[in-house]
Amino acid sequence: MSINPSLSLAEYLERLPGTTFKKLYQQPSTTFAIFRRMLPHLAKTFVMRMLFLPHPMTLADLDAWVKPEAKRKKDQSLSILRSLHIVQISAPSKEKPQEIQLMSNFKRSLRLALTGGGNHNSFGVPSSLMVPPEIDLPFLDRYARKKWEDVLHFVVSSVGYKSSLGEGSGPNKGVKELLIAGQLVDRRPNGSLGITQAGFTFLLQEANAQVWTLLLLWLEVLGNNKSSGLDPVDMLSFLFMLASLELGRAYDTNALTEERRNMLPSLVDFGLIYIPQHKRSMFFPTRLATTLTSGGNSLRTISEGVAAATQSAQTSQQSLGLLGGGGTGEQAGSVVIETNYRLYAYTQSALQIAVLALFAKLNMRFPDMVAGRLSRASIRQAINFGITADQIISYLSAHAHEQMHRTAALTNKPVLPPTVVDQIRLWQLENERMKTTSGFLFRDFTDDKDYLDTARFSEEIGVLVWRNDNTRMFFANKHEQIKDFLKSRKKAE
Amino acid sequence: MDAVDVSEHYEVTAADNSPSLLSIVLDTNPRAWAALDSSLSLAQAISNILVFVNAHLAFSNANQVAVIAAHVNRAVWLYPALQRPSSTTVKDNSGDVQMQDASAEAHLPPPSANKYPQFAQIESSVFSSIQTLMAETTVQDLDQLTTQLSGALTLALCRINKAAQALSSSDTTLSNAAPVNATAPPPVKGRIVVVSVSDSDPSQYIPTMNAVFAAAHNQVAIDTISLAGDSTFLQQACFNTNGIFLKAANPRGLLTYLMFGLIPDTEARASLITPTHDTVDFRTACFCHGKVVDTGYVCSVCLSIFCSPPDNAECLTCGTVLALGNYGAKPAVLPRKKKKKKKIANGSGREETGSATGTPRP
Repeated sequence: MSINPSLSLAEYLERLPGTTFKKLYQQPSTTFAIFRRMLPHLAKTFVMRMLFLPHPMTLADLDAWVKPEAKRKKDQSLSILRSLHIVQISAPSKEKPQEIQLMSNFKRSLRLALTGGGNHNSFGVPSSLMVPPEIDLPFLDRYARKKWEDVLHFVVSSVGYKSSLGEGSGPNKGVKELLIAGQLVDRRPNGSLGITQAGFTFLLQEANAQVWTLLLLWLEVLGNNKSSGLDPVDMLSFLFMLASLELGRAYDTNALTEERRNMLPSLVDFGLIYIPQHKRSMFFPTRLATTLTSGGNSLRTISEGVAAATQSAQTSQQSLGLLGGGGTGEQAGSVVIETNYRLYAYTQSALQIAVLALFAKLNMRFPDMVAGRLSRASIRQAINFGITADQIISYLSAHAHEQMHRTAALTNKPVLPPTVVDQIRLWQLENERMKTTSGFLFRDFTDDKDYLDTARFSEEIGVLVWRNDNTRMFFANKHEQIKDFLKSRKKAE
Repeated sequence: MDAVDVSEHYEVTAADNSPSLLSIVLDTNPRAWAALDSSLSLAQAISNILVFVNAHLAFSNANQVAVIAAHVNRAVWLYPALQRPSSTTVKDNSGDVQMQDASAEAHLPPPSANKYPQFAQIESSVFSSIQTLMAETTVQDLDQLTTQLSGALTLALCRINKAAQALSSSDTTLSNAAPVNATAPPPVKGRIVVVSVSDSDPSQYIPTMNAVFAAAHNQVAIDTISLAGDSTFLQQACFNTNGIFLKAANPRGLLTYLMFGLIPDTEARASLITPTHDTVDFRTACFCHGKVVDTGYVCSVCLSIFCSPPDNAECLTCGTVLALGNYGAKPAVLPRKKKKKKKIANGSGREETGSATGTPRP
């Protein structure tokens, strides 16, 4: 069983065949979630514009929508829309211009999601039973945080920094096995568990990405295990449905299919849903589930929007804390890094301190803050653990303090000091002088025009990594669309 | 080793996906809608607008929306609905009326499994508010022919401002210390879409334009879709705030106009070619009679506009006694100067406009 541990949701979806997408797009909630989560802003605008068009439109018309300087952005958007099987573009031919239209399934489902009709029950059937009064938003947040913290502690406690938690409070056995199967942690020869490089990547991601990583692992493990009788497509569609449920509302488990009911215990283990002990027929989605479709950084800005401002400071702190990244009482942005490599983190979370201790030398600890500095030795140590400079930098930028964002916005400078970012990379480069990109080399083109056209195409869709015009070779990190392009060129000739 | 090149800095910036807040101002003038009823009824229009609202919310779960009715005599929140005033109106320290995102009344209708919960909430809130509004409209109210547009615009701006403040900082002390930089992007991409069906009311010229300049200052775009009537001031509003003005020739296609022309928010507009209108009606209303004028008299001190010279040549706004000069007299023809024209020493080439700075624009 081989699993690629650092698989992102986009990569996972891209590998699915077109028929799978057809099935996924039958449910309005799934369509809605994919639209919201997977598309760049411009692509969303395109989809919305085409949604109520009765006929296909020509590609030339689409070109006319976009300013010339944004052509590259447009091509990338179109390429994503095609790879997710959202639009279909007719093959180029002499008699008819190329036309573009939304896939009929996708179009129908998204229209249904927006206008709210039909009888598909894809947005969850609410439970008609009385909701126990003790289950409110703070309770669900506490519950989800506890569960997720357990998972993270299990991963992190295998490195040098010993967590203060006892051994007994770890996650469920199934989750532990999943983490081992996903190679986030592995068994060392002496029987203990150790964190792997994939585990570090996992730790340094934002909470939302962490949840997805774990869920995708789970899908793959079950998908490979035919005896489980679960259909990964149906499961994925169920996860997207969970994302569109309302936080704090009880839903009816009896309205779910048998397969989906079987998924519930695992989802409880991850902390995505909560099932009350004495009322097994209802489930509550937690914040971990309902924010599955929010992309990357919006976790920080969402902060439940204006609602959070009107809520008491206490509860908004909690909701922020849950979303912030580590899952513990850690705030959304808490790390300040200065140009002199000093680092301050306003946190009490043992987990976040443990993560920081992986790559920084912490030398002071206060009730709500730790201070330390990045040094050549500390970064080298992190690299020996298997953490890359990119991971450290993205962790720092994901957790940068609000004040850093504010100063950056005022002075029009990057959020992290460029000197520090450069130096971290230089420290890594000291012993690692090459960077590998997996991909495909294209060469032996018949003529110059052939080469130039293909290379330009691959640059436009954003997969070109390197080119050398003299030897007529270029290197791209994906080949599917280039293949299609070459095929359609052949046909046109 | 290319990566250690000298010049290239690894810029790490947070991706820009700040939430986008859409405020919809719906003109609910009953007379205008009655006139439009054959092609598009108010109920149909609201359904179309709700689909547009849902489309906006679908972009991201950080996006927010507000719907405001500009009625004949007041402006009313449709969503988020004002809490029904019980015996005492709830007011917070600053005197603002507390608003709730309609979640308080969510327990009333059993939510459908076929609808995204947030969409259902907005729909029920908008429909119930507009029914209340129409029920409260009296016959006397109908004597008014125009709409309270300025009030609705101001409400929308307040909402955007409040949301921006709520998002920008939890700790106000720090943000107060930092100097406010006009070039820094606002934390919220605010946008107002006006669905207009009636003529602009000249008596509202000043409050409307005040709202427009406030919007321009806060980088809030005002978009307009004009279904009927002659909305002079809204054309200027869109022009001043870099918004889109659409004149709907066929009101029945409201949804298409909305989804096609007005769906891109300020971020998407950076890369899209937006619909433009070549003529902007720049006429203003005079301060003395409220007439819309092409040419008029302007007070040299306070820039008030009059359609005819005021009595005693005294400005009605600031009271300055103005010298009228001999306006309308036949211009005397001067003999051309013999001397060769010298190059202007400090050749700024700028026209004398009487004021040192131009109209403030962001």
